[in-house]
Amino acid sequence: MSSTKDFIIEQLKSEISAYKADISEKSVGKVLRVSDGIALVSGLEEAMMSEILTFKTEKGNVSGVALNLEEDQVGAIILGDCTAIKEGDEVHSTKRILEVPVGEAIIGRVLNPLGEPLDGKGKVETNKFYPIEKIAPGVITRASVKEPVQTGIKAIDAMIPIGRGQRELIIGDRQLGKTAIAIDTIINQKGQNMKCIYVAIGQKESKVAGIVAKLTEAGAMEYTTIVLAGASTSASLLYIAPYSGCAMAEYFLDKGEDVLIIYDDLSKHAVSYREISLLLRRPPGREAYPGDVFYLHSRLLERACKLNKEYGGGSITALPIIETQAGDLSAYIPTNVISITDGQIFLEPDLFYKGNRPAVNAGLSVSRVGSSAQIKAMKKVAGKMRLEAAQYRELAAFSQFGSDLDADTKKKLDRGQRLYEIFKQDQYQPLSVEKQVLTYYALINSYMDNVPVDKVRQFEEGLYKYADLHSDLLQSIATKKEIDAELEEQIKTSILDYKTTVEYLIK
Amino acid sequence: MKVSVQQYVKKLYSSVAGKSEKEAQKELKNFVALLGRNRSFNKADEIIRVFNDLWNKENKEVVATLVSARALMVSTKEILTDYLKERTGAKKITLHEAIDKKLIGGFVLKYDSKVLDGSLKTYLDQLKVVLEG
Repeated sequence: MSSTKDFIIEQLKSEISAYKADISEKSVGKVLRVSDGIALVSGLEEAMMSEILTFKTEKGNVSGVALNLEEDQVGAIILGDCTAIKEGDEVHSTKRILEVPVGEAIIGRVLNPLGEPLDGKGKVETNKFYPIEKIAPGVITRASVKEPVQTGIKAIDAMIPIGRGQRELIIGDRQLGKTAIAIDTIINQKGQNMKCIYVAIGQKESKVAGIVAKLTEAGAMEYTTIVLAGASTSASLLYIAPYSGCAMAEYFLDKGEDVLIIYDDLSKHAVSYREISLLLRRPPGREAYPGDVFYLHSRLLERACKLNKEYGGGSITALPIIETQAGDLSAYIPTNVISITDGQIFLEPDLFYKGNRPAVNAGLSVSRVGSSAQIKAMKKVAGKMRLEAAQYRELAAFSQFGSDLDADTKKKLDRGQRLYEIFKQDQYQPLSVEKQVLTYYALINSYMDNVPVDKVRQFEEGLYKYADLHSDLLQSIATKKEIDAELEEQIKTSILDYKTTVEYLIK
Repeated sequence: MKVSVQQYVKKLYSSVAGKSEKEAQKELKNFVALLGRNRSFNKADEIIRVFNDLWNKENKEVVATLVSARALMVSTKEILTDYLKERTGAKKITLHEAIDKKLIGGFVLKYDSKVLDGSLKTYLDQLKVVLEG
């Protein structure tokens, strides 16, 4: 035993004697001014953009990031305790760009934007780091979006399909269920070969705690990472949060995997960037946002992509969330982000309070990638769904005035009513695509026309239960992914068979 | 019109550069009168500091601070001065010396915005990080 000990001690001695401290020249500066998470530093002539700076304070080292490189001073955001920094403190440059830990070890964790744990589960065991700012993949590396992301939400999967590598904005006023859509989507990714990253920017910590509990309960934390910059964190951490979340996603992208990333929400991100910019004395523009607020979001969302086979074939699907004030879509940040993304899911208060939840507005919501990101079976049953839903709402408003309606209008109204009943879905209950196909098939082929409107949801529930009992039907939809003549026959007989067990049909 | 510190210093330097002390004094009087007219005496400290830097840069002079745990030998200082001359291309080196027992051993050389830290304290701090890491 003692020989091992001697060996270790000898090794340690030789290691220590062989250790050479690096006494290369370092660039240093002095703090000229500190205020509200911002420091102005003199010197540091060789500082790089978004380089990590170390502030040597009496209470230990604090890190910061260089953001403004001027002729004779550097403006930096402080990532730690800014009260510790005093005027005249020494600042060292590190020659390192800001980076975050990445790897398999981050899965199932709750981290802050610097990759430090917030869940009390100990250090993140990884030795890989990615820079938080990276130029988005170029044209040659990309492929078109064609595989679906199943959100498990009937209205979205049918009308506004989202593909892997797409950027789909979720937009609406407060308290309309924007986060609920995102969380349901995460829950539905179980077994879909998808890693999820939820970036909470300026969210209440209680809300995030609720989300973590819900995801854990649903077993979704096995493939999910949460990057949390709560409402009480400084603007500098809020600003870097989405970029560090994206860097974590890029690790999986480089491995050829599919990642879903949710930025909740980018309006608070823009506000935090506005705060930093104003403190750094950059000139304000519209709504006091700085001139580069468009680039702020475009460079982030451009990093969402679908790579082609030669580059691993991975993808990053981004679901940014924007909160509007009183439904104002023409404010600065909403218009910016709408123009950057490949479509938006617009949530509407009217629908929400009428009880149509999720309150997706069929007319204003679009997906520019569209049906190429749907499985064939879904494409077949949901082809004209969006148009029908939008038409129904117009007709319904119109038909309130007159009582005499022609048969065609009446039929459309009846179909629309049932369609909107089907769109209703409870929170945390995502639905598999097979079941969605089954319901929509029943609807568009008039099998639901004699189901009373108030019984549609009951009918639907029963249909799922019936299908679960005869699981070969769902199985064949899932494997075939398209409805051929044989399968169609099978679906028809199943629905008719189920309808014989239902008592409340209109005679 | 607002005149920045940089502009003041540049003007001042070009007006006094290469002149005898007597001539320079006259220029300085004018300069101070200008400051008074522009009500810019609050910038005086800043102007002196920036002027100092500019003068050193233009005349290839380097002012360096050398902190050590105990007084250094003349030969060591010469090595450091040569090092500075080589690094900066300066003609004249002014070395301010100071003693700081906290360094334990070695020296810290500061010039412009650079630091050459060869102190035992930093060495030990780094060793601590490596061993803990």
